[in-house]
Amino acid sequence: MGGNSPCASCKLLRRRCAKDCIFSPYFPSDDPHKFAIVHKVFGASNVSKMLQELPVHQRADAVSSLVYEANARVRDPVYGCVGAISYLQNQVSQLQMQLAVAQAEILCIQMQQEPAMPTTQMDPDDKSYFHHDSLPQYLNFASSSNVIHDSLKRESIFGQDMVS
Amino acid sequence: MISGRCAACKYLRRRCPSDCIFSLYFPPNDPQRFACVHRIYGASNVGKMLQQLPPPLRAQAADTLYFEARCRIEDPVYGCVGIISQLHEQVQSAESELAKAQAEIAFLNCNPQEAPAPIEANSNFNNLLPEQYLCPPSAQNSWF
Repeated sequence: MGGNSPCASCKLLRRRCAKDCIFSPYFPSDDPHKFAIVHKVFGASNVSKMLQELPVHQRADAVSSLVYEANARVRDPVYGCVGAISYLQNQVSQLQMQLAVAQAEILCIQMQQEPAMPTTQMDPDDKSYFHHDSLPQYLNFASSSNVIHDSLKRESIFGQDMVS
Repeated sequence: MISGRCAACKYLRRRCPSDCIFSLYFPPNDPQRFACVHRIYGASNVGKMLQQLPPPLRAQAADTLYFEARCRIEDPVYGCVGIISQLHEQVQSAESELAKAQAEIAFLNCNPQEAPAPIEANSNFNNLLPEQYLCPPSAQNSWF
């Protein structure tokens, strides 16, 4: 985009927008906030290096993820995206427990309904076959729930406006 | 004193002042830690981010910055956002399985004579979060 309108990056950096500007396809001039937030967290130089190290067809996705991370970090300067990861891990863990309880209940009901089957004393409150202890925890960060509920929407994370 | 420099000041080849913002969070015995965050964020940005936080929160912030930097180095396209994407999918999948199980319970309670085949007690969600989340995912098309 080396025409009349410099891209958002070159506008912010106050420099001439070259025809082969690495930022211009991903930071259009009509969305100055997008580059501003990425520049604030990562720095223009680092973003440029990261993009240059990627094949062209992957750069748009990389920019989207960088924007997401930058927004998360601005919203939550302590935990950033890690808060979201921690929250989702907890959600998965809880759902797994609920599923195990439901499956145990199904088994109980089935055993009650088929008295001919060899019965073992099953205590519906017995949680011994819950295997959630095998869930790897690669994070030990406390969750930051004040950011998570606003930022995590299923339909489109990247379409979500992270900064209110 | 050169021997007392933190990992950041060693990396940046400068004197480590007594009030160095990095010294508490980037000890000299872990040079990789600062190298990672420097590569992704830059020393100046990391210093600014830490300065803007109250001291009790800086350690946690340094840890999360390091984690995210590591994810970005391992997956230059998606970084830790790839992990978030996969976790979202797992939440959706787990919710769907739970809904099915709850529907089956409701069915069994309403139809006591028609017991379906026993369901395995083992959850099929063991190891929902395998170690490979730290490795670059093969493709992330669900969000784009």
